[in-house]
Amino acid sequence: MKFKDYYEILGVARTATADEIKKAYRKLAHQYHPDVSKDPAGEEKFKEIGEAYATLKDAEKRAAYDELGRHPSGQEFRPPPNWSGSRGGQEYSFDDVDLSDLFASFSKGRQGSQHQGRSMPIPGQDYELATQISLEDALHGTTLDLSFTVAEYDQQGQLKRVPHTFKARIPKGVTNGQKMLLRGKGGKGANGGSDGNLYLNISFIPHRLFKVVDHDLYLDLPLTVTEAALGATIKVPTLEGAVNLKVPEGIASGQKLRIGKRGLPKHNQEHGDLYAVIQIVVPAKLSDRERELFKELAKASTFNPRAHFE
Amino acid sequence: MNIDFPELIWLDEQHDVSLDELIELSGLTQQELRHLVESGALIPNKLADDDWRFNSHCVVSVRTLSRLKQDFELEPNAFALTLVFLERIRKLELQLRDLDQTQKT
Repeated sequence: MKFKDYYEILGVARTATADEIKKAYRKLAHQYHPDVSKDPAGEEKFKEIGEAYATLKDAEKRAAYDELGRHPSGQEFRPPPNWSGSRGGQEYSFDDVDLSDLFASFSKGRQGSQHQGRSMPIPGQDYELATQISLEDALHGTTLDLSFTVAEYDQQGQLKRVPHTFKARIPKGVTNGQKMLLRGKGGKGANGGSDGNLYLNISFIPHRLFKVVDHDLYLDLPLTVTEAALGATIKVPTLEGAVNLKVPEGIASGQKLRIGKRGLPKHNQEHGDLYAVIQIVVPAKLSDRERELFKELAKASTFNPRAHFE
Repeated sequence: MNIDFPELIWLDEQHDVSLDELIELSGLTQQELRHLVESGALIPNKLADDDWRFNSHCVVSVRTLSRLKQDFELEPNAFALTLVFLERIRKLELQLRDLDQTQKT
């Protein structure tokens, strides 16, 4: 088991008072709490801070922690024989366990003893997981293989970090940023407490052609000058195969043409739409004939796209 | 092969949860949730006393509130105000995301 210096993490002396520890924790929590701070490293840092505070704010746990002695942070160590933090005098193997698991089990053991030997139900921990799916998966629904690590008690009552792997069915209807909850798929509860839940944040893998807004899809549709001026029927890709789109004559860049119900499905049988966003493009190099015809057009045309400047 | 898939709850504006479910999912007590409703920070879909149901998107904010309460030892009076700000942040973040996506189209 690796040693963590909880005093160092909170930036207080080993002789700090309970009030000094509380003040130091609050200051750091405001800085790193994942619900307050947007610092990507904040969550990991706050776990350390919360773990240190959970132990040092409690006089009994702090005394047990102090008994462990002082070691350099990260150094492997074992608690002394008959250490008061061992639950019910039980000896741990201390393999696959970290200091936070040990002090969490210390409080669980104590909660049990405070209730005349009957153990209090402890609910399992909630977990949060981010996952990405493709637009095609969102269209048809998919089954995800989810995997993460949780701290659980084994049959001998020892805490171990174990991989948690299961399948989850994601029905069609989700959109980018969808949050879902998988009941009972967090950490295991103890003493008959309910299992924790898993919060799933679903986002879409960026698609090569389509952008997503809610359940609608947007596709950039490049047109030639002549297609835009004269109108055309264009074969347009959708998630469910190509469709023919009638482009009216005189369409401008940036205009959107709606293709109904070719977006993503909603959970209630409704469907988003697909929008083709017009982009008029010209060849970087013209052939002699093309140049000649464009020049002729320029001479003949009276169209002024900048009339509103005057 | 039969696979038992876990129960799945959608957390969005189109689905809802009961008061009991919100208690279970958030870790807040019934009294704390009632205080949030009475102060107007949490608005049920129906105000019939025994049948409160809430849009399920609120689970995330209320659970965050529960965490903040625990980690910052929030006083009950700071409760409702914190939830109002959490909801405002959630809505602004959604607007920002939609705006960002619209600009890219």
